[in-house]
Amino acid sequence: MPATFTRAVNAVARGLSLVAKIANATGTLVVLALVVLINSDVVARNLFNDPFEGTYELVQFLMVMIVFLQLPDVIRINRLTRSDGLLAVLAERRPEIARFFARLIDAISSVFMALIAIAVWPEFLRSWDSGSFMGTPGIFTAPNWPIHLAIFCSCVLAALIFLAKAITGKRRPERLHLEESGA
Amino acid sequence: MSPFEIGLISVVAMVLMIYLGVYIPIALGVVSFVTIWIIRDNITLPMALLKVAVGDSVKQYSFATIPLFTFMGLIVSRAGLGEDVYKVMNTLFHRVLGGVGMATVGANALFAAVTGSSIASASVFTKVAVPEMMKLNYNKRFAVGVVAGSSVLGMIIPPSAMLIIYAIVAEQSVGHMFLAGIIPGILLSAAYIAAIFIMAKFWPNFVVNGGKMAAQESRELLSAGQLVLLCLPLVGLVLTVLGGIYTGWLTPVEAGAAGAALGLLLAVGRRKINLKGFWNALLETGHITASILFLITAASIYSRMLGIAGIPNALGDFLETYQLGFAAVMVMLVVLMLFLGTLLDTASIILIVVPLFLPIVEPLGVSLVWFGIIVVIGAEIGLLTPPLGISCFVIKSTIDDPNVTLKDVFMGALPFAGVMLAVLLILIEFPVLSTALLP
Repeated sequence: MPATFTRAVNAVARGLSLVAKIANATGTLVVLALVVLINSDVVARNLFNDPFEGTYELVQFLMVMIVFLQLPDVIRINRLTRSDGLLAVLAERRPEIARFFARLIDAISSVFMALIAIAVWPEFLRSWDSGSFMGTPGIFTAPNWPIHLAIFCSCVLAALIFLAKAITGKRRPERLHLEESGA
Repeated sequence: MSPFEIGLISVVAMVLMIYLGVYIPIALGVVSFVTIWIIRDNITLPMALLKVAVGDSVKQYSFATIPLFTFMGLIVSRAGLGEDVYKVMNTLFHRVLGGVGMATVGANALFAAVTGSSIASASVFTKVAVPEMMKLNYNKRFAVGVVAGSSVLGMIIPPSAMLIIYAIVAEQSVGHMFLAGIIPGILLSAAYIAAIFIMAKFWPNFVVNGGKMAAQESRELLSAGQLVLLCLPLVGLVLTVLGGIYTGWLTPVEAGAAGAALGLLLAVGRRKINLKGFWNALLETGHITASILFLITAASIYSRMLGIAGIPNALGDFLETYQLGFAAVMVMLVVLMLFLGTLLDTASIILIVVPLFLPIVEPLGVSLVWFGIIVVIGAEIGLLTPPLGISCFVIKSTIDDPNVTLKDVFMGALPFAGVMLAVLLILIEFPVLSTALLP
């Protein structure tokens, strides 16, 4: 690989990491918002008999935000669930083969995330044009397009991060990361 | 080739890909996508399914239980509740041979009622109970085995991430799953304690070196008043969360949020958490939520693929043709889960197995809540079995002692995996143990 190309890819990869970290920090704030929102609703309903309108829809909305704001960062730090015992054994005996597999896997993953982005894009255009919403008119409504936009951007970013991993292939296959499965 | 054959090949391909190290959600998604594409011979349907699965499966109110209970568990671990219950249990059990082991089981059971994760339990109790047992001349294999075995309680006793995941894929109520987990959780804890008692009686050498334990220093024991005081925060949390759900005062989502808020108050009140710790707990919550929900999204594509290929129907026909009844289904289920448990994490096992078996057991008229308890416990046995018992890995990496090898952890955990299997069979035989508390 020519040196300039490698440098360019590395620079792009650093840029992607930065975007993923920013999205991740935003998603972390959304987790906090979720805790605060539901507790406020419980308190308001029980103490003041005055439930918030639209908590249900807002929770749905926040869940999508949490997942898709955090997903690129989960991928960036190699915490997407996998069982790489075999890859780790292979890395000790035949490191070049293990690295080839690891890069192949990242390349396939990149294609899959890109497919999701392509599948969601028309949905975004539709909800943007039609102004579709969730909730009950007159009580609480939220537009659908931010959800589709968030999913689209997240999947594009995820596809690019996977692609950068596949090209640079710097990290050797790591041991299974356990906490992320909630196991 | 018939759709059924293509579907079967794709399930095998998926398992192979996962063993090769492909990210589990990607393996589920890619294989399902390609399979539907081949069966229907056009790409529009798999693209549409992708869109629906990603757009809609995350957008569900009950999913909010995952970040909320995860956050509650992380905060409660930081607040030092695990250490507290351990001290309480240790005071209760300290006279018995194997008592620290029993105390660890008891403390894990109580701690499990405020966390939903075996990983949290394993790391907390490795730090607290293992050094204590080493000091008292316990066998190192027994010491780590007890911690590994009892960490599993974290995911059976509600609130539990795995019960939530099952509730989501099987479309059951999260609240009902939580209530159903209570008696099996207590039963398993009791079985562990009984097993330790029997081991200490008949194989004292496995429990303590030379069959004799060193005396415990009395300053580590507590008075009755201290015991009550240490238990109060935990009991308060359990009453709020499980009591709230049981009485219907709180939905599971609200119970999770309330538990998270109370846990946070407790941690702040005890000065166990600073801004950085708080932020890290939120961050960790976000990461765990994103990876679990992405896995669930991929699993929903996979379950639609199974439906399109007609695999559950074909399995049902197969059972009918060969006059194989319910018992055969359960044997297949348990064997499959034990096999997958050698390499996969619990959530992945549940998400792979449930869409295969649910359409088969549903027409048999059994309780799907009970079936969920069976699946969750069966999948959890894999946490303790080599080569990839996740709880064992966590203990090995937390313990930081070169004298304790991974093999020691697995050997120590083996009797407890056996007890789990026995309890699983009892639960299969007596569904009422799981369904008794349901309204």
